Amino acid sequence: MLELRNVSVQYGSFTAVQNVNIHVHEGEIVVLLGSNGAGKSTVFRTISGLNKLSKGEIVFKGNRIDRYSPDRIVQLGIVQCAEGRKLFSRMTVYENLLMGAYIHRKEKEKIKQSLNHVYELFPILKEKRNDLAGALSGGQQQMLAIGRALMSRPKLLLLDEPSIGLAPLIVEQMFQIIKQINKEGTTILLAEQNAHAALHIAHKGYVFENGTIAVQGTSQELFANDNVHKAYIGT
Amino acid sequence: MEFFIQQLLNGLTVGSVYSLVALGLTLVYGILHIPNFAHGALYMMGGYVTLTMMSKSGLPYWLAIVISMIVIGTLGVLLERLVFYPLRDAPPLHDKIAAIGILLFLEAFAQFVWGADYQTMPTPYGKVVNLFGLTLTAQRLLIITSTIAIMVLLYFFLKKTFIGATIIAMSQNREGANLVGININKVAMMTFMISGSLAALAASLASPINLVFPGMGHLVILKAFVIIILGGMGSVPGAIIGGYILGFSESLGATYISNDYKDIIAFVILVIILTIKPTGLFVRRGQS
Repeated sequence: MLELRNVSVQYGSFTAVQNVNIHVHEGEIVVLLGSNGAGKSTVFRTISGLNKLSKGEIVFKGNRIDRYSPDRIVQLGIVQCAEGRKLFSRMTVYENLLMGAYIHRKEKEKIKQSLNHVYELFPILKEKRNDLAGALSGGQQQMLAIGRALMSRPKLLLLDEPSIGLAPLIVEQMFQIIKQINKEGTTILLAEQNAHAALHIAHKGYVFENGTIAVQGTSQELFANDNVHKAYIGT
Repeated sequence: MEFFIQQLLNGLTVGSVYSLVALGLTLVYGILHIPNFAHGALYMMGGYVTLTMMSKSGLPYWLAIVISMIVIGTLGVLLERLVFYPLRDAPPLHDKIAAIGILLFLEAFAQFVWGADYQTMPTPYGKVVNLFGLTLTAQRLLIITSTIAIMVLLYFFLKKTFIGATIIAMSQNREGANLVGININKVAMMTFMISGSLAALAASLASPINLVFPGMGHLVILKAFVIIILGGMGSVPGAIIGGYILGFSESLGATYISNDYKDIIAFVILVIILTIKPTGLFVRRGQS
């Protein structure tokens, strides 16, 4: 479904990502592991078209998309729920969700369905629908960010660090919801530092180190890999 | 008492013009995050285009205004495409320098085409009307009513339509807007279109009372900056309320203090606001 072939990304003279190959099949949950600054977010930004790659190509459903603008990539069905959430903080929860459905703005009925679906996944958003997004707690903002991404009915959902800054109990809940979204037919590419929880729901993973992929394999393989276990999962 | 209300009406007139100019300025600030120093030059160009349409082409006042709004809106879009868009990744200082460059260019252009003389704009609304025992010219009534009408329209556009909401979304989070599929180039162009049109409308409404000349935008743009600092940079309601606050202060100050000091009032207010509440009066929680 999505393929990154020998992708390199540079910020000025600094190479943030080098020769990365990633393959995501339809229906999968694929996780990118690695510490801060390893290049995961850069990969996400590049897929979404916010950064331009310096080498390689990105192919989505047979088409090269690495020269597309970010809004065109969203229209293709690749939607990112970015790190830092990127919400419209002075709009209400409801207005944020509505903006998420921007590419379907002419289909009122479809928007209503998506809205109900998001409210089902995150009942708290329905409760707080008239609150300003900026006034929500961190966990609620994360839910809103995911909800807003779902409003565009993505084929491929990019989730950048959905568990960052969340209480352990909510983290678990968040991963259950991610699993459910995947079961309902959305392919998911996930960047996480919380390797343990992520590998539990993922089909396969890539471990990033200094902008390159150090290890890759199925979730079982990564769990079994001693180095990965030591570095990212702990005991 | 009647005299006082008369002054309030004057304030309402002046405030309407200020609000229209400040609205365009604050919208563009929200999108670009730079103060568009050239906004006053757009205002000036708007006055000249309306005047030319009336005197040279013999168009009626209203039609001349509409054409002027379209022309200046388009000019705004051109500035975005030719000047600000190529600078989008440059340091913010470059945008500011470019804006000043545009300002100087447009003023020299106006002087070259229309001359440096002060010109009067005729209006079909010169008659004096009586309203609840108050006397005011129909032109002033027109300024107040059409400004309020435009503001209501703009409010519904920004609040109730998807296309209008993209402007708000982009001003609150540029990348967030991009990531929900909004084409930020289109939003930037649309914002400049609206901003330019509002400036042209303000100038066309105010010119029959004031005069048309190459430097007519100077004081207006300075005051518009005071207004959006007062109302919070990028805030739409702040620009409207700030505009009227300044209008009222000026007209009351001119009456009860001195007409000579009228133009100083704005800057005195600016100094006071920046001392007491540097973030502006109407900045809501969560706004950066």
